[in-house]
Amino acid sequence: MEEHFLAGMIEGEPTFRPEPWYNPVGDCLVYKMANEASVADRVDDLLTIYRSAEDNRPIGFQIKGIAAMIRKLGLAGLAVASQADDASVTDVSIAALLLAAYEEGAATMDRRSGYAAAMEFDVPREKRRISRDELQPA
Amino acid sequence: MAADYACLTIDPTNPDGPRIEVVFPAAYTTRLFKYAPVDFENLRSAKYVLENTQRIFFGVRAFNEGGWCFSGRPREWFLKERIVVPFPHDKVFVVYINPRMQVYECRAEFIAEDDPLAPIDWQTRFRGLTWKSIF
Repeated sequence: MEEHFLAGMIEGEPTFRPEPWYNPVGDCLVYKMANEASVADRVDDLLTIYRSAEDNRPIGFQIKGIAAMIRKLGLAGLAVASQADDASVTDVSIAALLLAAYEEGAATMDRRSGYAAAMEFDVPREKRRISRDELQPA
Repeated sequence: MAADYACLTIDPTNPDGPRIEVVFPAAYTTRLFKYAPVDFENLRSAKYVLENTQRIFFGVRAFNEGGWCFSGRPREWFLKERIVVPFPHDKVFVVYINPRMQVYECRAEFIAEDDPLAPIDWQTRFRGLTWKSIF
């Protein structure tokens, strides 16, 4: 295969990192636990499960519309610890984002199983919250 | 510091007109390069789809106005690091572009029952089909 069109434009040593990250261009939270090709299996407008292209097992998820959820619920509504106001919130819970996304749609079996699959991913404990400073859309 | 990368593609607002620039933002490509090597390699498929587009859909997000989905089928892609295989016939590769003409998501999806070059459920997910290749 020919050289990558971005070869030489980005410096550093690639290292797969299985941890959630916020994509500011797409305003979405992405988590992939395997460094392999995936197929997007869309659950609804807000949640997509990534499945392995090789064997179809779930390997990650994407939550869309993060900025809209923060606007609707406030940062305090998406934090884990009890915090009085948005200004005091330093981290947002990924589980709370998933629950907030679930509450946006109809209570169907497909949605319930999709969100349950996302909740069951073994996200490293120290990565289950994301800094509010990272949640800045482009 | 990485730079944005511009790629020429069909203007979704004027498909019969000259091609326009769509940008792969450095914020996106750098993240994939550093921490998601297979997804970074498969940006090649995204560029291929932008240059050889088969379908363009408009209205792609519940909370964001505008935006497009470009779909197509690359010949091959990276299944794992250093493992290149033919792109599967029951999938389509899609590239999502925001109203500022920035690429923000590139991925494979299951194909629609009525159109093997469109992603599944395109009729309900998007507001409509903007353009379709005749080839």
